[in-house]
Amino acid sequence: MEKSVMVIGGGIAGIQASLDLADKGIIVHLVEKSPSIGGRMAQLDKTFPTNDCSICILAPKMADCFSHPNTNVITYAEVVGVEGKVGAFKVKVLKKARFVDETMCTGCGECLEKCPVKVPSEFEMGLSNRKAIYTPFMQAVPRVMTIDKENCIMITKGKCGNCKKACKREAIDFEMKDQMLEIEVGSIIVATGFDSWNPTTSTEYGYGRYPNVYTAMEYERMINAAGPTHGHIERRSDKKRPTKLAFIQCVGSRNPQVGHPYCCAVCCMHSTKEAMLAREHHDDMESTIFYKDMRACAKGFWEYIERAKRDYGVRYLNSDATVQENPENHNPIVVYDVGGRQQSEEFDMVVLATALIPRKETLELAKILGLKADEFGFLESSDRILGMGRTNVPGVFLAGYAAGPADIPESVAQGSSAAAKAVEAMALAGGA
Amino acid sequence: MAEPQHTIHEKKDEPRAAAGEFEPKIIGFLCNWCSYAGADLCGVSRYQYPTNVRPVRVMCSTRISPHLVLDIFKAGADGILLGGCHLNDCHYISGNFYTEKRVRLMLKLLEDAGVDPKRLRLEWVSASEGEKFSKVVTEFTETIRNLGPNQVKKDAALRSKIAAADEASDTFRLRALVGKELGLEKTGNVYGNKLEQTELEKLIDIATKEEFERSLILELSKDKARSVKELGKIMEVPTDRVLRHIVVLRQKNMLSMDHPEGFTPTYKTIIIGGEQ
Amino acid sequence: MTMAETKKTDPNEKPRIGVYVCHCGSNIGGFVDVPSVAEYAKTLPDVVYATDNLYTCAEDGLTSIREGIRKHNLNRVVVASCTPRTHAPLFQTTCESAGLNKYLFTFVNIREHCSWVHMKEKEKATLKARDLIKMGVARARLLMPQEEEKVDVEPTGLVIGGGVSGMTAALSLADMGFPVHLVEKEGELGGFVRNLNNLYVTEKSATETIKPLIEKVKASKNVKLHLNSQVKSVEGFIGNYDVVMASKGAEDIKTKVGTIVVATGALEFVPEGLYGYNQYPNIVTLTEFEILCKKKSLPSLKNVAFIQCVGSRGQKVSYCSRICCNVAIKNAINIVDNYENMLGLAEKNGTIIDTVPVEKKVPDEILERRRRRRGRERGEEGEAEEVKLGPSEKIEVTVFNRDVMAYGVEHELTYNKAREHRVKFVRYTPENPPKVFMEGNQLMVSYFHETLKLDRSMPVDMVVLSTPMVPQLDTREMSQMLKVPQGQDGWFLEAHVKLRPVDFATDGIYVCGTCKGPADITEAATQAAAAASRAAIPMAKGYVQAEALTSVVDDIKCSGCGTCIQVCPYGAMRKNDKGLAETIVAACKGCGCCGATCPEMAITMTNYTDAQLLAEAKATLEEV
Ligand SMILES: Cc1cc2nc3c(=O)[nH]c(=O)nc-3n(C[C@H](O)[C@H](O)[C@H](O)COP(=O)(O)OP(=O)(O)OC[C@H]3O[C@@H](n4cnc5c(N)ncnc54)[C@H](O)[C@@H]3O)c2cc1C
Ligand SMILES: Cc1cc2nc3c(=O)[nH]c(=O)nc-3n(C[C@H](O)[C@H](O)[C@H](O)COP(=O)(O)OP(=O)(O)OC[C@H]3O[C@@H](n4cnc5c(N)ncnc54)[C@H](O)[C@@H]3O)c2cc1C
Ligand code: SF4
Ligand code: SF4
Ligand code: SF4
Ligand code: SF4
Ligand code: SF4
Repeated sequence: MEKSVMVIGGGIAGIQASLDLADKGIIVHLVEKSPSIGGRMAQLDKTFPTNDCSICILAPKMADCFSHPNTNVITYAEVVGVEGKVGAFKVKVLKKARFVDETMCTGCGECLEKCPVKVPSEFEMGLSNRKAIYTPFMQAVPRVMTIDKENCIMITKGKCGNCKKACKREAIDFEMKDQMLEIEVGSIIVATGFDSWNPTTSTEYGYGRYPNVYTAMEYERMINAAGPTHGHIERRSDKKRPTKLAFIQCVGSRNPQVGHPYCCAVCCMHSTKEAMLAREHHDDMESTIFYKDMRACAKGFWEYIERAKRDYGVRYLNSDATVQENPENHNPIVVYDVGGRQQSEEFDMVVLATALIPRKETLELAKILGLKADEFGFLESSDRILGMGRTNVPGVFLAGYAAGPADIPESVAQGSSAAAKAVEAMALAGGA
Repeated sequence: MAEPQHTIHEKKDEPRAAAGEFEPKIIGFLCNWCSYAGADLCGVSRYQYPTNVRPVRVMCSTRISPHLVLDIFKAGADGILLGGCHLNDCHYISGNFYTEKRVRLMLKLLEDAGVDPKRLRLEWVSASEGEKFSKVVTEFTETIRNLGPNQVKKDAALRSKIAAADEASDTFRLRALVGKELGLEKTGNVYGNKLEQTELEKLIDIATKEEFERSLILELSKDKARSVKELGKIMEVPTDRVLRHIVVLRQKNMLSMDHPEGFTPTYKTIIIGGEQ
Repeated sequence: MTMAETKKTDPNEKPRIGVYVCHCGSNIGGFVDVPSVAEYAKTLPDVVYATDNLYTCAEDGLTSIREGIRKHNLNRVVVASCTPRTHAPLFQTTCESAGLNKYLFTFVNIREHCSWVHMKEKEKATLKARDLIKMGVARARLLMPQEEEKVDVEPTGLVIGGGVSGMTAALSLADMGFPVHLVEKEGELGGFVRNLNNLYVTEKSATETIKPLIEKVKASKNVKLHLNSQVKSVEGFIGNYDVVMASKGAEDIKTKVGTIVVATGALEFVPEGLYGYNQYPNIVTLTEFEILCKKKSLPSLKNVAFIQCVGSRGQKVSYCSRICCNVAIKNAINIVDNYENMLGLAEKNGTIIDTVPVEKKVPDEILERRRRRRGRERGEEGEAEEVKLGPSEKIEVTVFNRDVMAYGVEHELTYNKAREHRVKFVRYTPENPPKVFMEGNQLMVSYFHETLKLDRSMPVDMVVLSTPMVPQLDTREMSQMLKVPQGQDGWFLEAHVKLRPVDFATDGIYVCGTCKGPADITEAATQAAAAASRAAIPMAKGYVQAEALTSVVDDIKCSGCGTCIQVCPYGAMRKNDKGLAETIVAACKGCGCCGATCPEMAITMTNYTDAQLLAEAKATLEEV
């Protein structure tokens, strides 16, 4: 049997691990839960600390990963069982029916117009709608449609079928069934990433109540040229462009009360980036960042903060902050404390750097694989100092945010590192 | 590149065409990784724009050397759009920094040649800026429409000047200077700080002017021997300056002199091989 | 993938071009008159066959390409359909399967760049599509068959530096099955960690933690260890580096390796002239403090102050050194929790630190400078009067900081723990840094209290200065020898800050650990395994194959000026024996920068020649 590895999760960490393995001649089965690979990075507008366009640098990697002769990218699928040990795992993968034949669909999108059902787009953080037949974003890989069976009225009520009529390639198949695949691999890499914490329950920020309070992820989509507002920053309440922005850090993180006492390690930087981008969009944008500690400590990061202050006029205030609202104009009012004095200031928009948390499904996956997770749900390395990413299960490795807070470069390094460890493990096990 | 908004009727050799009749021909050199991808996204998103741009795919905007641009203007293009990745996004690390430097030279040469520099446009379009691509093309097409057709095929004087600019862009001296500048640029860094304007930039500006004028002398004296005075008049350059150029060109054995007794000397371009 | 034997296309053979125009269902066909465009294509020079397909990329479309090549003896193929960015590989493979070299294929985009963006102007869109195909055909006429050059890769690695990252990289390569040379300039493995007391997160002994790693490296059959050695010269390119290693008191060793991992680590910044360092007693750097703890030589203490960001974040260096906050927190907790264990014997050490019993690894120049200074001061001022301190029950620790970089899960929790253990954190701004001075015999720290808006001062027994990591002194020489870049701050510069964190732009050379910037052991080791993974790729393949999109230097035109070598972002140009430029095909990425720069116009870009680009562009400018 040829050497093969399964990578679970197709974010940047999983993509990097897959490419590193495939390039070494190892067969990679990349299992991605959603309809497209790309993960969170595909949702970001630019990336700190160089402000490169995220999708521009990611899309070529996604395409490489998909079309590599040694990869088998299984999207819309999940791992449901595993047996065996290093060198000889047997993994059960549930490939959900997408009701569109991947080999026939060219992604032309003729079906989209005809579908009558609108649902909030997950990729756009609910800021715009998608259809029941959809591709999460324009650069999705594979670029094929998926029908979401919860919302398709043909599948739920048996009437419609518009998309099938529109599709000249006859790619649509309402009879499609879930498929159970059984795949043998020598090693497994878990790279299932993170979720954004929903701050609705922490009332002090007014998210969900005050229309002009956004999460950072929503904001990232909003400033993206391909996003729901075509890159225009606008307020939920009146569609007007704000000029005074407040960014509040550590929303739900470094906060034992809501169960995330840890620091997410990327949000000080991403808020800085987001404030800079506001100014890049419009010269009159004024941003203020309310922070506890400005954690900008990797290569080029502190310089980035200095640049934000100097060239982009970003104001930094070292304070906790809460939000109220001016009911007349829906302007959020930020209440804060500098030098022991409580103060408040009205803004046009507030962006919350919400805590980043492990995905819930990762815990289930951990159970299936026999992995240990810490009290917050991050997967644990068995050798924390010298062998980050190695786990208590021989042959199973971790990469990316699922193993603890990591930015893109760290996720990439961990992806490559996990690839090396997987090869070492298989060499040692002397098998598959 | 934000262009200053000034009047567009200033070039006498380029009368404005009657609106509606003129469909500009625009060449768009698009880099594979960003601007071409941005144009793709524009299509996928169905943003509409005028049909005038003809894209030519290159791997990187850095591929476009000045002589390609001038040669294409010489062939009659009404406008040229160069598309690259945003600075710091270049797939090839630093290619677009070089492009920026080269475009500076191209614009200078166009100006010397009497071609409105607005006919050349450099734009950074990322792979996610589909809408921007449509805007850029729409705007640029409109700009060119207002400028009217490139008169190179009808206007012999303009033709010589563009040919001279094309020749100048090929000269060892200019390319070596720009190469040197790019070498320095490379030591600039990826975190977004650009090197300050160098002394070299000034040197390049001087060299550009000189090389253009020399090439123009060669161009004008190709079919007909000409005197210093004559050249000075056509080129609108003081005669002592023309004479200095002639001395250099004679040293390089690029001009021959005819000096019949009692007449002012005239000069003719020495043509090597079939093609000049 | 097995490929049909590619027939040799004679470059001089007259082009016989086939054009395939795609409807893409109605995606193109709905907005462009595709059949008329295909008819038009037949009228173009050298086109011998043109047709339209409903879906060129569907199996019947591909079959029509293969058949066209056979039936009409096509030696160039043009497909006018969607975008080359997704579909070029498919059509190229199709051409190859019919025996046509894939470089004789060219793509024309009439969907994304035409039908989809001119949906309301069918006539003009059709004209544009015709023009685009005319341009594609003009390009196709000048295409040449190309061979992709393969370069063999020597499956042996070289790792420079025997700290945690170097050892991890070497061991990883070894465990993946590749022989590897590990070069360490000192007589011992371990690097900077040998100075450290205990490690944060686990709180275990630093030397004990890395001992198993050192043992595994020493035991590995695949690792050839070169202690007391340095790399003297490196020549060559990916897959084929000729390396000379020089060892103390031995002959130079010459060897050939395929890939190189750089892991030369970092130094600690010496805060000469800052905060009374080397001026007053009991002022040490973090590293010196760690050494004192490790040697169990701490004097008796009651009040300790840590000052963070000494020289970093816009002071002497612009960056934040990432680890020093957490190292300070670790040591603060150590003092509070474990002070007794680190206390030295009073009779041996007294209460003043004047010579730190430093292991050799602390940069010699630091020690030397300190020793000289001490000597001078003693000579001038006579015996410094001893600071009298009684043994203390309760120790006060204050950390003066700007921001506490307790990023991630464990550091933040440890930071909380430190606060619970009564460690005080006092924030200062760079405009108002704390001051260290003597009041009589008493060492003092004064600072500005931000809330009270008042200057405060406190007596301390020891001040620990958290200074940043700085690049090794020989980084520049290394970078010149290996032809890899340094960033502005002097660290080695990776190829791409985000997506290629452990690659150098030059293929075949990789970088990890603190030589590319501050990192802790975990991060250094992760980068090291990543670098090993990257280095293993060409070695596992055994060769590198470059797409035939590279630069080619014309020997006759080249003057050897070296401009191309300077501008190439990938170090893919070198001088040959004749002193002329030569492309390292295995490293060239085909950006074309050298070609656009060469003053002698001596460089051509394969498959994107000037002639091809000009023909393509000018085709649309011809009068009809
Ligand atoms: C608002 C915001 C801005 C940011 N900006 C930056 C920035 O500018 N620069 C930077 O360096 N970092 C930035 N980051 C951090 C960056 O997003 C992460 O470092 C990076 O995305 C982590 O990648 P990953 O692959 O580990 O996880 P993810 O991107 O989350 O990918 C995980 C993938 O796994 C899939 N998956 C999950 N569970 C399963 C399962 N059970 N089975 C199969 N597949 C599964 C998911 O669908 C997803 O595709 C930002 C983060 C946020 C929130
Ligand atoms: C005060 C202090 C406390 C720290 N505490 C912790 C902690 O608690 N936890 C933690 O995780 N990290 C800690 N660190 C960080 C840790 O020391 C580094 O992460 C680690 O040493 C990095 O390893 P490295 O291999 O990259 O570099 P180094 O350890 O510096 O090793 C580099 C090696 O390369 C060799 N070398 C250099 N140049 C050459 C050459 N030209 N040729 C051959 N060999 C060469 C050197 O001799 C050295 O052996 C601390 C650092 C400091 C300064
Ligand atoms: S069948 Fe379902 S997916 Fe298709 S158009 Fe109707 S509702 Fe939409
Ligand atoms: S990175 Fe900054 S905003 Fe995010 S949790 Fe840490 S300190 Fe708070
Ligand atoms: S002391 Fe803290 S903030 Fe200062 S440079 Fe070190 S890690 Fe960064
Ligand atoms: S720039 Fe041109 S002339 Fe100079 S060395 Fe390179 S190829 Fe030769
Ligand atoms: S084409 Fe680009 S990568 Fe290749 S040698 Fe020239 S400059 Fe270097």
